[in-house]
Amino acid sequence: MVKEYIHIILADDDEDDRLFFTDAFDELKINTKVNTFNDGVELMNYLNQPEAILPNVLFLDLNMPRKNGIECLDEIKKNDRFNDIAIAIFSTSSSEEHIEETFVRGANIYIKKPSDFATLKKVLSDVVTINWQYYTSGLNKDNFLLRL
Amino acid sequence: MKIFIKFDFNAVCRKVLEDKLIKYDIKHRVLGFGEVEILEKTNPQKFNEFTEELKEYGIDIIENQKTILVQKMKDTINEMIHSPELVNVKSSVYLAEKLSHSYGYLSNLFSDVTYTSIENYIIMQKIEYAKQLIVNGQLNLTEIAFKLNYSSVAHLSTQFKNVTGITPSAFQRIITKRREIANKK
Amino acid sequence: MKLNAFYKSPIFLKSVFVVSIFAIFFISAVTFKHINLLNKSATWVNHSYDVNLELERLFSYLKDSETGQRGFLITKDSTFLEPYIQAKEKIDRSFSIVKNYTKNDPAQENNLRKLQLYINKRQNYLSLTLHLSLKKGLNDKELKEKLLVGKYTMDSVRSQINTMILLEKETLKSRELSYNDTIKVTPIFIYITLLITLVLISVSYIRINRDLEKLQVSNNRLTVLNESSNLAEIVGNFGSWQLNIDTDQYTFSDNIYRLLGCEPQSFKNGQDDFLKYVHAEDRTYFEGINSKRLEKENLPSFTYRIIRKDKQLRYFRTTGRIVTNRSGQNILIGTTSDVTDEVLASLSLEQQNIELEASNKELVAFNYVASHDLQEPLRKIQTFISRLSDKEYDSLSDSGKEYITRIHSSVDRMRILIDDLLQYSRANKTEKVFEKVSLDTLLENAKFDLAQSIEEKGAMIQSEALPKMTVIPFQIQQLFINLIGNSLKYSKEKVTPKIKISCKKVTALEEDLIPKNTKDKFYKITFEDNGIGFEQEYAEKIFILFNRLHNKNEYAGTGIGLAICKKIVENHKGYIFAEGKPNEGSKFTIYLSEDC
Repeated sequence: MVKEYIHIILADDDEDDRLFFTDAFDELKINTKVNTFNDGVELMNYLNQPEAILPNVLFLDLNMPRKNGIECLDEIKKNDRFNDIAIAIFSTSSSEEHIEETFVRGANIYIKKPSDFATLKKVLSDVVTINWQYYTSGLNKDNFLLRL
Repeated sequence: MKIFIKFDFNAVCRKVLEDKLIKYDIKHRVLGFGEVEILEKTNPQKFNEFTEELKEYGIDIIENQKTILVQKMKDTINEMIHSPELVNVKSSVYLAEKLSHSYGYLSNLFSDVTYTSIENYIIMQKIEYAKQLIVNGQLNLTEIAFKLNYSSVAHLSTQFKNVTGITPSAFQRIITKRREIANKK
Repeated sequence: MKLNAFYKSPIFLKSVFVVSIFAIFFISAVTFKHINLLNKSATWVNHSYDVNLELERLFSYLKDSETGQRGFLITKDSTFLEPYIQAKEKIDRSFSIVKNYTKNDPAQENNLRKLQLYINKRQNYLSLTLHLSLKKGLNDKELKEKLLVGKYTMDSVRSQINTMILLEKETLKSRELSYNDTIKVTPIFIYITLLITLVLISVSYIRINRDLEKLQVSNNRLTVLNESSNLAEIVGNFGSWQLNIDTDQYTFSDNIYRLLGCEPQSFKNGQDDFLKYVHAEDRTYFEGINSKRLEKENLPSFTYRIIRKDKQLRYFRTTGRIVTNRSGQNILIGTTSDVTDEVLASLSLEQQNIELEASNKELVAFNYVASHDLQEPLRKIQTFISRLSDKEYDSLSDSGKEYITRIHSSVDRMRILIDDLLQYSRANKTEKVFEKVSLDTLLENAKFDLAQSIEEKGAMIQSEALPKMTVIPFQIQQLFINLIGNSLKYSKEKVTPKIKISCKKVTALEEDLIPKNTKDKFYKITFEDNGIGFEQEYAEKIFILFNRLHNKNEYAGTGIGLAICKKIVENHKGYIFAEGKPNEGSKFTIYLSEDC
């Protein structure tokens, strides 16, 4: 059965960014449920609960206090339970080395935080759509690399 | 040791499906890919167990007519892309003929259900196939471009970059590095 | 060659010495023999004279006795008998003398016996005559007879004596002859030997003299050298030492002591005493290095600390080399120098370097963090503005709308500035991962990045095949992006931008622009466009950070792009140059070392 909604999680320590993020999804006409966490520790605490509803797409800010995005990524990649989660890095940085590094570590998507709201909406919508495609069309998730 | 596997999704699905149908002793007839005709009424409880077991394999029974048609379109597109003899007909014409619906209708339906256009879907599928071929490493980019009916490597590369945001070579590099890391573990 | 070698060898002098000694012995022996001979011959002459004299004397006594007898016979006076009796005694005495003289001469002895016979006969006759005359008185006839007999006996005595004298003279003569012979040959012999000896001695004298001169010269030189090396040691703050490996004997130069703050040769030459001055913490290290050195091995250069006699801390560096001398002994010759200044200088340099590196790192980090962290608030400003202009635009007044637009463009410009700065600081970052990649791929990637503006401007980019090189891929890609982007930005209006990228393999010697001291092979990649160009006088200035040739209202830009290019090329140990002609175009030339 197709799920009713797409479950999205964002871990970002910046309040404004979380606001933009939820606003963007509110305005998009996609059936989504968005949860946000303030940092990596909060996120991992949630994910590590056995009864936790795992997201379809997880957005990770790289630069977070306590536990940063890369640490979360590594932890998630180690646990087979999280195999189905598409991981999107959501960061201000756009250094090529950095991007490739996160891909190599297992991220599926790398998003440079856009500097205007319309673009943000477009990007998030793209991510969800493409992930949807991967989910519904039985594509090889190992080959899922997307940079926006 | 590491081995590379090339598999036919269709064949795998068909085999799994048939095995399960036989297991649950359901009288059936396979009509084509993604379409099975159940020949006699089955116990609803048994049928539920059957569908649950299929879900483990990522196989869902589509109940909605629209989604059935979309699935048919997807199958047709995949068939078209993976077919060894190049299809020189325009995809829109090919789809309309094959599914006996107007392209306009198909296109709207597709967008409604999948949040994406047929064109985008085709491109995405082609790039996915290209990725698969790159990962297999048996063909070089020129050969892949030819196989996927691109006019040039540059054309393939541009489209690849447009779809994924990265270049084919970066893609290849990342996958290689991931494998190296996996091998070390 | 061999002879010459022999002449030069010390054996020569020894042989000359031995030969000369023998020659002198020989000469003295010959001389001694000769003087002996001379002595002997004199004795012989005397002897002969003595014999002859005594014989003459004997004869005269005989005569005397005869005369006395005759006188008596004639006068019958007995006084005449006196000489006769006297003569008889004298004859006996004289005869015994002669006998004594001729004892060793058989011929003369024989003659003497005969003489004795004759003398006896004569004496007998004389006494007989006398007896007769005394007894019966002789008649004339008898006397005459007797006198006649006496005369005959006397004659035979005389002749016998004459024979003896003659014999003696002959013996003497023959002896003189042989003596003369000897005396004639020996001087020549001695002379020749002497001459040879003289020559030999002269030769050796010359040799010795020459050697002495040489010795003197080398001695002088040695003195000077010694002095100069002493001076050099003092001036150069080092000392020298030797270790005879076979005997384990050390020799220290004076300056070693001075370096330690001691009086020269004030303690025993040896490692143990020297070690007392080595810093306690370095002693084990010092000994370790010395004991680790194998017999035939040189001593590696090593540095250690010294506490001088005056408790001053100094840094010494010692090194040594094995030398085998003529006697086949292995000697370790070493120098020990006071490198305190050098060490301190290098320490402070190191310290400065560390500080500099740290401050540089800090600066890079600061730059990165600043530009990176500035992005966040900026991005938010931009997003909020976009929200504002999306949602509230219609409710704003005209001037409000105008302000929004202005804020928008200012923020956009700040975004570009920060992006460029970030790029520049990334190009400065220390971690550089070189990879062998195809520059063609990097150029393709660069074109992807610029695809939008290439399309907008309808630019035509024509490129030759680029090689595979070991580079920092992201940086080279950035370089290409910046150069092509630059050409696109400064293209002429209403003219299709054309960018020509060419590549050629060159050597440093062929190119005027790059330093000649390298024989390195370079790839020369040129980017030529038909844009607005620039005045050649700005060719160097355009690579300086924040340097702009145009007003920012004419052309958007931060003056960072080309500075990044230069930085990237420098990171690859390459060179970048610009050429420009106003309204015709510009040309950027990059040299990347082939083995970079």
